Amino acid sequence: MKTMLNLSLRLALISAVAALALAQVADFTAGPIAAATRAASLRAIRQVLPAYDNEPDQDVVRVALAEGDTLECFRGRKDGAVSGCAYKAVTQLGYSGEIVVMLGMDAAGQVSGVRLLQHAETPGLGAKYAEAALLDDYYKGHGLADTDWRVAKDGGDLDAVTGATVTGRALADAIQRGLEQYQAHRDEILGAAAAGGQP
Amino acid sequence: MTAGQIFIRGLWKENPIFRLVLGMCPTLAVTTSVFNGLGMGLASTFVLICSNAIIALLRGFIPKKVRIPAFIVVIATFVTIVDLVMHGFFYDLHRNLGLFIPLIVVNCLILGRAEAFASRNGIGVSLLDGISMGLGFTLSLMLLGGVREILGNGSLLGYSLFGPDFPPLLVMVLPPGAFIALGFLMAGINKLEERRAIRAGEEFAPPREMDCGNCVLCNLNDGEKPPCSAA
Repeated sequence: MKTMLNLSLRLALISAVAALALAQVADFTAGPIAAATRAASLRAIRQVLPAYDNEPDQDVVRVALAEGDTLECFRGRKDGAVSGCAYKAVTQLGYSGEIVVMLGMDAAGQVSGVRLLQHAETPGLGAKYAEAALLDDYYKGHGLADTDWRVAKDGGDLDAVTGATVTGRALADAIQRGLEQYQAHRDEILGAAAAGGQP
Repeated sequence: MTAGQIFIRGLWKENPIFRLVLGMCPTLAVTTSVFNGLGMGLASTFVLICSNAIIALLRGFIPKKVRIPAFIVVIATFVTIVDLVMHGFFYDLHRNLGLFIPLIVVNCLILGRAEAFASRNGIGVSLLDGISMGLGFTLSLMLLGGVREILGNGSLLGYSLFGPDFPPLLVMVLPPGAFIALGFLMAGINKLEERRAIRAGEEFAPPREMDCGNCVLCNLNDGEKPPCSAA
């Protein structure tokens, strides 16, 4: 009994010190993690928007979607007029887990850019979709009306990385649904006053 | 054993990957490029050095019967620290390796060194052992990553080697390629080691087999019943 107590106490003491240390580190890194995540998000917004001269993360519109979600749109303006907007699109069809992309749309409803925010695709294959040049090449300039949003292998208009068709399908799904959301809420997104502030 | 011998041991004679065959999960999973290998290697090295130091310091305090859970708590603490710090300050690297960082906890190399070395030695040599093993691990991961990146992607460190017309051996960056590359590299290193042993008149000892009975935890337990064996 006495040894048992001794063992438990020592293990508990080690765990307690570990927990204390981790709490300190978590506290210390919370700020930088939030900042890094936001910076990555901002970087993606800047890259996907068509030409703009305002601060897109200060010009935010939140649109209520049918499913109870909120679509957060960052608008780019050129000479005061809305030139396009950027928002997140998500798909569950990735090869391993959820893929989140930042989708850029010009005023006419055509894709002005796509960047991957979060994915766990196979390194060297699906993860190749993280390359900016490749994303621009595959998706830029495509709209809802003029494109069959399936990969070429399935009879659609989209290229896909060899050996990473699943990821290609997933991205097509994310972008297509993003485009449909834009279409459905276009007037709200373009017309509403900015909610401003923090993204 | 002198400090120099301890230091050189992890690089070749007891190289964690090619001689001890430890830590195979991250080895096979992340070595699709030199850069990923380097990142994983450095993260593991940091954890290994810190856990070795703490466990050497606490070796009088940790009771033998609960040493494995105690080691795991120490290791998991440092892994979480690496995870948080990397997330905050090396965001892109964290995005590449994110999935595998928590798995460092179950990297047999780290628990193995804690059990086989740090819990039996002072802090100085334990630190040295951590640095040496970590360096050997990192260099091996980079070698494996380099072979796979060159063959599977036609590039090294992200720079294209053979131009855009090179058809990459895609299988090399997929999981089977990890086994293929590791097998050939290990065969080559065995050959070198065998030749060296014959020349030096020593007996050639092949790497341990990768079954439970041969793992470091079981073999270096001073005859006590190994913690992981059912028998």
